[in-house]
Amino acid sequence: MKSLFKLFIGILFITVMLKADEGTKYGKEIELKETTKISEIINNPAEYLGKTVLVEGTIINVCAKRGCWMELSSDKEFESIRIKVNDGEIIFPMEAKGQKALVEGEVYSINVETEHKCDHKEGESCETGEQKKEVKTIYQIKGLGAVIK
Amino acid sequence: MNWRKIFKVIHRDLGYICFGLVIIYSVSGIAVNHFDEWNPNYIINKTEKNIILPETLNDRELIILSILDQLAIKDSVLSSFQPSQNILQIFLKGKSLTVNFKDSEVQIEEVKNRTGIKEMNSLHLNVPKKLWTYVADLFALSLIILGITGLFIAPGNSGLMKRGKWFVIAGILLPIIFLLIYQ
Repeated sequence: MKSLFKLFIGILFITVMLKADEGTKYGKEIELKETTKISEIINNPAEYLGKTVLVEGTIINVCAKRGCWMELSSDKEFESIRIKVNDGEIIFPMEAKGQKALVEGEVYSINVETEHKCDHKEGESCETGEQKKEVKTIYQIKGLGAVIK
Repeated sequence: MNWRKIFKVIHRDLGYICFGLVIIYSVSGIAVNHFDEWNPNYIINKTEKNIILPETLNDRELIILSILDQLAIKDSVLSSFQPSQNILQIFLKGKSLTVNFKDSEVQIEEVKNRTGIKEMNSLHLNVPKKLWTYVADLFALSLIILGITGLFIAPGNSGLMKRGKWFVIAGILLPIIFLLIYQ
């Protein structure tokens, strides 16, 4: 019984040592070989809608409680894209902030209704101070598989 | 050996094996049950400090060095990103800084693991997937066996057919009552 326990501890130790050097994988294995620039997706979303893409970027934000999304920086300044995963399927760790990630997933869009006070910007026809509703289309990637380096 | 003795042996030995996992799943169960009230995986500390920015904001490396120097932070920089004209994010190991150029202010966010509980949550929520999925399945099956064998261990007045049945009925009714109330 004792030798069986020692063998179990030995296997556990070797597994941990072997895993230490790889990037951490999440979800499905990445199949695509070529990456798409995030700026390409942000600037031509209609072209990528519904398509599976492989993107790379720095993790600039992670869902603190459930790890169900993370934001990747674009190759261009002031741009980023959100990678959303099904709750519990993949959990991104908060300590990954600042690290590089390679993500494979499907581009999709959501419509978000926002409210703002009328300020006549962009030629709005409304009374100053009036609450205006606006529907915004946001593009995200439904993450299927990821490697955090 | 009669069937009661067999059940007793199964219940005892399976109980020994499952002890560690029962503790992991129940501690994590309490932890994730209160998601809305606390973060079961991390302790996040946010502090804000005022800084003096360099005169020119063109050289990002210089800005980062200047800020880290003022904050006496010695950790090496993992990466940085500018989400907007006035904001710069600096990422360090276990720490991230959000610099606001407009207000000359920096928010320091420190993330620490809740060591032990985080690992338990990871196993409970099946983050490792792969082989752990089957270990978790076996554990669930073991709990069913523990539950069933446990019913038949005590003989006589404490047995299932006497006093025990009322406890079993109460245990079954409890979730049903809550389902009826909340659905």
